[in-house]
Order: sequence, then C-alpha cells, then structure tokens
Amino acid sequence: MSLLKLNPQTVKKLRRFREIKRGYYSFLILMAFLFLSLIGEMLINNKALIVSYEGDWYFPTYSAFHPGTDFGLDYPYETNYRDLQKHFQESGSDNWVLMPIIPYSPYENDGSTGIFRPEAPDASKQHYLGTDTTSRDILARLFYGTRIALVFAIGFMAAVYLIGVAVGCAMGYLGGMFDILSQRLIEIWSNIPFLYMVIIVFSVIPDAFTIFSRILILLGVMVLFSWTSMTYYMRTETYKEKSRDYVAAAKVLGASNTRIVFRHILPNVLSTLVTFMPFTIVSAISAITALDFLGFGLPPPTPSLGELLKQGTQTLRTAPWIVMSAFGTLVVLLTLVTFVGEAIRESFDPKKFTLYK
Amino acid sequence: MMTKFSFRFALVATAAFLTACGGGSESTNTVDTSLDNTQEVNDYYAANPDFFTFATINDLPNDLVWEDGMDEPDLGSPDAVKGGTFYESIEDFPPTLRFVGPDSNFSSRSWIAGYYRMGYAWPHPNTRNFIPGIAESWAIDDDTSTVYIKINPEARWSDDEPITSDDQFFAFYFFQSEYIQAPFYNNHYNTEYTNITRYDEHTFSVTMATAKPDMAEYGLGLNPIPQHFYKELGEDFPERYQWRYEPHAGAYTIDDQNIDMGVRIVLERKKDWWAKDNKYFRNLYNVDRINLTVMRDAAKRYEAFRRGDVDMMRVVTADMWHDNLPPTDPDVAGGYIHKATFFNGGPRSNWGLWMNSSRPYLDNQDVRIGIQYAANWDLVISNYFRGDVERLKTQNDGYPDFSNLNIEPRSFNIDLALEHFAKAGFTERGPDGILRNAQGDRLAFTLTTHYERLGDVFTILKEEAIKAGLEIRVEMLDGAASFRKAQERQHDIYFVSFSPQLVMYPDYWQYFHSDNAYDDAFLEDGSVNPDRKIKTQTNNLQVVADFELDQWIEEYDSSEDYDRMVELSQMIQEKVYDYASFSPGFVEVNYRTAYWRWVQWPEGFNFRFTTYPYEMFAFWIDPEMRQATMDARRNGETFEPHADDVYDQFKGLQ
Repeated sequence: MSLLKLNPQTVKKLRRFREIKRGYYSFLILMAFLFLSLIGEMLINNKALIVSYEGDWYFPTYSAFHPGTDFGLDYPYETNYRDLQKHFQESGSDNWVLMPIIPYSPYENDGSTGIFRPEAPDASKQHYLGTDTTSRDILARLFYGTRIALVFAIGFMAAVYLIGVAVGCAMGYLGGMFDILSQRLIEIWSNIPFLYMVIIVFSVIPDAFTIFSRILILLGVMVLFSWTSMTYYMRTETYKEKSRDYVAAAKVLGASNTRIVFRHILPNVLSTLVTFMPFTIVSAISAITALDFLGFGLPPPTPSLGELLKQGTQTLRTAPWIVMSAFGTLVVLLTLVTFVGEAIRESFDPKKFTLYK
Repeated sequence: MMTKFSFRFALVATAAFLTACGGGSESTNTVDTSLDNTQEVNDYYAANPDFFTFATINDLPNDLVWEDGMDEPDLGSPDAVKGGTFYESIEDFPPTLRFVGPDSNFSSRSWIAGYYRMGYAWPHPNTRNFIPGIAESWAIDDDTSTVYIKINPEARWSDDEPITSDDQFFAFYFFQSEYIQAPFYNNHYNTEYTNITRYDEHTFSVTMATAKPDMAEYGLGLNPIPQHFYKELGEDFPERYQWRYEPHAGAYTIDDQNIDMGVRIVLERKKDWWAKDNKYFRNLYNVDRINLTVMRDAAKRYEAFRRGDVDMMRVVTADMWHDNLPPTDPDVAGGYIHKATFFNGGPRSNWGLWMNSSRPYLDNQDVRIGIQYAANWDLVISNYFRGDVERLKTQNDGYPDFSNLNIEPRSFNIDLALEHFAKAGFTERGPDGILRNAQGDRLAFTLTTHYERLGDVFTILKEEAIKAGLEIRVEMLDGAASFRKAQERQHDIYFVSFSPQLVMYPDYWQYFHSDNAYDDAFLEDGSVNPDRKIKTQTNNLQVVADFELDQWIEEYDSSEDYDRMVELSQMIQEKVYDYASFSPGFVEVNYRTAYWRWVQWPEGFNFRFTTYPYEMFAFWIDPEMRQATMDARRNGETFEPHADDVYDQFKGLQ
C-alpha cells in the first residue's frame, strides 16, 4: 500500500475513481457491509446482547455458553434468549434481555406451526425474508452466507495474486528456458479439470477436520487451480516493462534484481493487477456459489448462497421467497462488485490522456 | 489427388468412429456369433457329477406331493384394459443391458429387467403362499431339502424358444462361472445349492445346502438362463453382452430400435406372451409400452409429471406431498391428478445411525446409549416428516414373528443422555456448550452420509444434540465415497439404510457376527483376542463383536427349527438393543403416489408385500381418458377430486 502513496500517478487514478460515482458508492456500500458483517454476531444472532439478571449483567454474544440454569431456567443446555425475554416480561421482574435486531441464528429451526417448512416473510415474527425449508431464518443465512462468500473471495483473490504475480513476474523477468518451461507446465496444469479435483480432494479429507479447516482446504484447492490465468498478464507486462529504458538505467546503476522487480517493475504493472481484482472476486463468489449449488462446496449446515439457491429451485412454486432472496442477494452483490471493477478499470485506463492523430 | 483421397478417407473413418461411439447397440450386434460353448458346458457338468445329475423320469420319487398354487386369490382386476403407453422417468440411463457382471447394479435395473424376469414360483403378494411362474407344479421334500419342479410346457423365452430343464442346468453353470465377474453369484450358487437333477425336458430337482424354513424359496425362486443366448459366453462376457437384452420369460422385451442411447428406452409387451391367459398374469402387465425417459434432476421429474409427460410419481418427501401437491392445488382439486397412500407390509428399510463401536469413545457403551438419547428422532418425525413416518424400533423391523415387538427405541431425553455421558467421563460443558472429559477431549463425532435429500434431518439432529452436549459433524459425501468410508471402518457414525429383501427372517450374521468385525475376534475360551485386527469390507458396520451373540447367531443360522429361530431372533435383537450401536431412525410404513387420472388401479389399489405402487403392474392406462382429461383441463371441466385415497387394509400388519 505504501507503493500507492508514493506514486503520484496512482493518487491521480484514485481521485478519478472517486469521481466515478457509481463505482465509488458501490465500493462504499460494500465496505459498509464488510464492516457490518464483521460485527454480524451483534446484529443477527439468537444470543442476547445483554442480559440483566438478578443485578448481574451478562454479555452472551461473544462469551462462553450459558446454560438455562444460569438464568433460573430448568434446562442444562444453551439458553433460548428469545424465550428468556418473554419469560422475564411475563413474570414482571426487573430482569431484562436485549436481543439483536434479528434474533435468529442461521442454524436454528424456528417453525411457528411445529412443522419445519418454508414460511413466508413476516415482520411480526421478525423473519423479514421468511424461512427456508427447515424453518431457518433466510436473512440470517443470507447474511452469514454472504459474509463467508466475501471473506472467501477476498482470501481467494489474495492467494491467487500472490502466486500469480510471483510466478508471472519471474517468468517475464527471467525469461529464457525458465519462461518456456513454466509456460508449458502452466498449460498442462490449467487443463486439469477443477471440479473433479474438488470432488476427489473432498472425498479423502479426514473427517476430524473442522468446518473451518474444510473451508480452508476448499480455498486451497480453488487457488491451486486458478492462479494460472494471472501469470499470463503478469508475464507480458513484465516483459514489456523489462525492456523499458528505466529498467536498463536501474540495471546500469547496479540495482539488484529484487530491487528492480519490487521498486520499478511491480509499481508500474500494478494498474493491470488492480483492474482485474474485482472481477476475480466476482468469479470467486460465483464459483463458491456454484460449488455449493452442486453440493461440493461448504459442508452443511454452513449458510451459503448456493445452498439457498438450490433450495429455491426446488421450491419454486411453493416458496418463491427463498429463490427471490438468494437470487436478489447474488445479483446485488455481483452488480456492486462489477460496478467497482468498471470504475477501477476506467480510472486506471491510460487512454483518457492519450490522443491518437 | 492423393491428398484429396486421404482427406475423404479420414472423414469416412471419423464418421465410422463416431457412429461406433454413439450407437453401441448396433455395433455390438455384429459380433461373431459363430462361437459355441456347448462342449465346454457339457464338460463342466461331467466334471462335477455330484452337482449335476442326469436321471430319467422313472427315477422321480413316487411319494411326492405336487402343488400348483392355483387356489390363491387372483391378481389385478378383471376390468383391466390392455393397451396404451405408460410414461415413466428413470434417474440414469442404464450403463449396460446385462443384469449381471460389472456395472449391472444400476438404479433403473428393476425397470430394465427386475420386474419382468420370472422364477418358477413366487410368493403371492398378499398371502405369501407360492403361486406358479414358469413352473406348472412343484413338490417340496423337507427331509432332503429338495424341491422338485415341473416346468410349464407352454413356457417360452421372449425369443420364442422353449424353456427347459437344460436352461436351469445352464443357469448353475452360468452363475458358478467366473466369466460373469460376479463373485456374489459365484458364491451363492456354489454354497447354497448342492445338486440339480434332470428327470426330463421339463422336470428337474434342486437340492439346497440346508433345510432352513424358507428353503423352498431358494429353489422355487431360481431363474433359468437361456442357454441358446449365452452360447458365446466367455472371457469377454461383459463387453460382448453389454448391450444385448437377455430373453426372459416375462411380458416385456426391449427391441434394439427402441433404445435411444442416453435418452430413452421403450419396452414393448409381447402380444403373444405365453402366460397371458394364466390365472395370475392375465390381469397384470396391461400397458402395451413402457416408455422410460432419463430425467436426472428431481425438480425436473416433478415438472414433467405436472405437465403430464410422466404418468405417475412416487412421493417420498413430506413437502412434496403437503406443499407441492396440496388438496387445493388446481390439478388435484380438479380431479386431474389423484393421490393415494397405501399401507404395505414386509421387512422395513432401517434408516438410522450406525455407530462404529471400534472408534475412540464410541467403544464405550455409555457414550453410545447417550447418543441414542441425544438423537431427537421424535422431532424429526413430527416436524420434518410431519408425522407421516413412524419411529423405527429395531434394525430388523417387519419380519412377522422374528421382529421383537417388545423393544421400544430410546426417546430423546437430555437428562438420560447427560447421565450416560457423565458415566463415560464427559461431565464438564466447554465454552461452546459441548461436553468434555478430564483429558479435555470434546464429545464430538462425525456423521457420514450421502443422503443429500435428507440433509435437513441431519441439521435437526445436530442442533438438538448440542442441547445434550454432543456435537455431530455432518459430512455429506457422494454415494460411493461414503459407503467406501464405512466399508473401511473409517466412519464414526454412518447414516444409511439397507433395503431388505422380501424374505422370511432377517440375516444377523453379516451385521452382528464377530467374523465380520475382526480377524480372530476371540480366543478359544471366549476372551477377547488382544491382537485382533478390524475386518473391513463387510456389513458389520457397527463392529459388533460379542462372544455370546456369536453363539446365538451361529445357532440361528444352522437351526432348522422355526420356533427356536424365532426365539433366538428375539434374544439377538434384545442384545443388540443393549449394545446400543444402532440408533433406530424412522420407518416408512406406507408408500404414497400421485398419478394422473387415466392411470387405473384394481380394487384395493395394490398388494401388501410390495414397496412400489407399480411393482406388480396391476394398473392399466386408458388412452382415451388421457386425451379427455387433458381436454377437460384446458376447458376448465373438473372431475371428482381424489386428494388422498388411503388404502389401509394392511395397516398395522407387519
């Protein structure tokens, strides 16, 4: 990031980005969502924010679990705070519970009729987008599903760029035999069918792995088969920059290869990189959603957009709100990211100042 | 000129290659048919004189009591009309038309062969008494565990060749042969039978290895194999017969031109079928054509049904029954689509949690019992299945006399679960509410399964188990991977059901005997062998090994006394209940189906010992009604609705 600051060209580009309102506001909205999602447990959760019981204050959101017996209830398992709130209100005591805006976790089944089935949106029950096929709150699942997808996509992008840039740069800068061999290897590598690899890898993962590590493995597999495309751009850009006079000048001055690559070439090819970033995120979100849709993605019952979409296609006639919510979220999310991408591409486009005569 | 020619040649070659790839059925039919293995088969008979005996009709014992099973109630309806086409969907295109050998155990197998292949005699689907198939009459000699069979002289293969005793001789050669690459059949036909004797062209006897109470089923349930069709049987059997449809004695057959690779298969009824006037068959197999179209996706199958492209749909899930096809649905309310619930009997699929009792902590009986109490099947049944299914009681429900009706499965009970977990050392709840023991190990197990359509069941179980301090990690694999995992005993808890066969008594050996759990599980004196190793690739998924249980199972397997077997069966089930490695889930005591109004059914809908509405082919299609219904639907004309016709004449019976 310090590179960005140093380069007045980049500052100019960023200023232009701010001038493109559509992309800029999309970016702000996305950032706001990202921030909200980081504190998501305080917005959408079935654990209370604050419980005041017998003069003591409890903050169950991020703390260890409280069995019902902690609050004078008769069961030894996790307190149902919605019931606790009702219980306190009815008993007229001084105890009180402050629940999040949406008092549901993405995992709990909350069938109002005693049957787990999709229920239409109902503000009075605080199911603002309705419930899914097993009566789980759709908004909660969408929110946490989107959070996972976004974090996943950002992690994916970072990893892909790290590998892609490193390999691409090396190919372009070193050239020669290394370049030719790497290119052939990459061609072979990129022809391995990605979906099969995901299926194969997932069938051999030991079951003791937690959901988190399974998500990491999925990320690893996806990165392993996606970094190749980035190398093509990096390679050509590096080749181009390498033959420029300033690189030759740096060489003559005795700059080391590392210095030339990091101080001279990388900052100059950065604009190419940055323009691709949002689109990489779009493809990562689409990929993880598609994998979930096919049942090869995040392990159940992890909330995910793909899983909701799949439910939606199966209940098109009976519960259209499921597919509408999932599809709507996906469209909005991908549109926002695409707007950001277009704005970046435009602001980084050197052609604005080029006149051809 | 040369180049032009080569180019043209390449084109022709490519075209030929593509044709060969696409039209497998045509290309394989041009194989060399001059092979003849008759000599090899005869040599095999001669080399095994104890098994294959040739006698004359005079050698037939005189004191046999011949039965013909003609006193049982008729099947189907005399009102049934022949004709029409039945449209049905299949999930996958069959990978082969063979019914044996590699890849032959595919999902649509029953539609290709299973439903129409005939044995000599078969249990009446309501009374379970034998009624004739290919046989005209038979005699059962319990003392020598031999079944004597007279083949109906009218009986013909679908290619009109007569069925003779030689075909049954050949069947033994076929199933004992390694050419067919089917070790199960090889083993079965080598160990369950000891002799076949030919008396004349239509008379033979088969001797079983034991005189078990259901011995007759083994003999009468045999299928002859058309010797003339398998003249070319040899090392290349799987490829050679890949797309050749074996002639059988049943009503439907597949013509090569009715196979549209990857898309559709059409079966046609033999108009001059030899059994068409037979008492038990005259009202069955009524439709002229069965059109099987591949539809891989459940949602797509449903839409096809709603369009009327498929005539009938088996309804499995509660939401399909209650939400997708409610009584208020215009097509249901208008009487175009009918719905029926039929209560059937027979051995039940055992949906439940199969715990691997060789895994850490699952080897503790208290942990297993705790898991049983922490599995909230009652909630699954009432809230997910909406009370449409019942709680399974044991791993072997639905065997009259043999199933232990005194066993009540453990119900969800947090206190009892915690009590048993505490006995096993899991006393403290961690910050996540999951129990831990003194070593800090969490009480967490993986539930492996491939039943994606039941995914919601597992999330409910998982969420409820947390209340009892138990974490269930759900692992959804594809079918082959999950089964392999269980077969290699890498699973903690496996959710599966074994579809039972319609037999008299359950098989315990493969599920509970220590032979299938460990190599040399016990020492001579019955104590545990300290060096024993887990045996994989068997059906003892729970790794049950109990010395006393072994004795009972061995006695049960060797016993020829019905009452003693019943007694042992009760004892075995009792012990298995105490061992608590199987958490019984749910059981479907009926089947439900939705069908268009032109599908007609005999009175009483269907048969007690069936698992699918169409299994016996007692329905018929009224082609005119099809057109009339569709016209009426367009014009808004309605009929009397049948939102749920319940046929419960067999309800409560096992």
